[in-house]
Amino acid sequence: MMNINDITEDKLNLFIDEQLDSDEMNFIHEAMLDDKELRERVCQLKAVRELIGYAYSEVPPSRHVNTGQKRSNTYAGRAVAASVLLVVGVVLGWSTYEYSPNAIQAISAENTFQYVANHVKAEHGTRKIILHIDSSDLKVVNSALNEADQLLATYRKANAPIELDIITNKSGINILRPGMSPYIDRIKELIDNNEAVAVYACDRSVAKALKKEGMAIELMPGVTKDKSARELIPERLKKGWVYIKA
Amino acid sequence: MKVVRDLVAAFSMKSEFAARRNKLYRIAYSWCHDPALADDLVQETIYKALKNASRLRDVKTMDSWLYRILYNCWQDYLRVKGRNVEFVEMHDEDQSGQADNYQQSQIVKRVRSSVEKLPLPLREVVTLADFAGFSYAQIAEITEVPIGTVMSRLFRARKSLKEQLLEFGSEDISEFKLRRIK
Repeated sequence: MMNINDITEDKLNLFIDEQLDSDEMNFIHEAMLDDKELRERVCQLKAVRELIGYAYSEVPPSRHVNTGQKRSNTYAGRAVAASVLLVVGVVLGWSTYEYSPNAIQAISAENTFQYVANHVKAEHGTRKIILHIDSSDLKVVNSALNEADQLLATYRKANAPIELDIITNKSGINILRPGMSPYIDRIKELIDNNEAVAVYACDRSVAKALKKEGMAIELMPGVTKDKSARELIPERLKKGWVYIKA
Repeated sequence: MKVVRDLVAAFSMKSEFAARRNKLYRIAYSWCHDPALADDLVQETIYKALKNASRLRDVKTMDSWLYRILYNCWQDYLRVKGRNVEFVEMHDEDQSGQADNYQQSQIVKRVRSSVEKLPLPLREVVTLADFAGFSYAQIAEITEVPIGTVMSRLFRARKSLKEQLLEFGSEDISEFKLRRIK
């Protein structure tokens, strides 16, 4: 049985290359949910990997490539263009996180690596992103919703498809409660204006809130609550979704 | 009939190779950082592949077979020139589609420069894995080293690149911040 101390750098390399057996892969996926430092280590490795691919995705032309051929892949070109700001974010994230975690409003350090992993690969199809909110702290929620807006705008601009699942649990479910949350209109707008956005409330957290408060927990329309966050997140990670923790 | 079959097979093989030329070129470029040399290596690879096409037993393994030929061409070149040959990135200011954006071009230059500083065996493995997307087993086959060596080279390469790119962040942060504010 693997434990957290067994997660060496070598193991993480094997993890990002999906070379571990399924038990070990699942263990690290689970551990990442609770361990911010581990998430960052994984993200850094992924970012290095994606930056290599990015750096050689376009190279000085070969004598044998004609202009028409070189310019034919406009979709890839748009996707690369969309990734530019976010790739730059790697640099920002790496250097600012240590001394000023809140200095960069739009892109936090750990998320930046995920952005890179996500955006650089944008030419290969729909990007699937989980935005996990487990707090009702105004700052955290604001930043998360800003991130959602930014992701959607970036992809829209690049004309690249995206699926964004916003998964809430713990006190994060409170942002979905009418009469209690100041974000209802903003989240409604997100759902109504973007087919690609789905919002989930952890059923276990809803049940806990019901037990604690002794009254029915009303959630805004359009929210799904048939599974726990512990089920929703790992099942997406296994399918290659990118995870962003608010 | 056999002649016709052979001709059709040769034509189809040629098309398969041609379809892979661009990626072969980019991998060759990632190793040598010299467009002319990368071009020559790919030319030689395609020539050798066509000449030895009958040795390819399973079309499914065409990719690793082709990259193995490319790798061997590259090793032959290094044997002649000496493994310590220095490669200098030939920056083409007119690379349309890539360097439209200052930040983008800075990142690309920095990553390539970091790759350039890696010892050749590490550079070869990391580009085969992280750019070409080959599995550890395929890379072991292409480079003819044990899979454990591939893993160790890949991990060392990524560790070194991570450290170099972290330094990049601290050097250029103020400039990027200013550009973002604009």
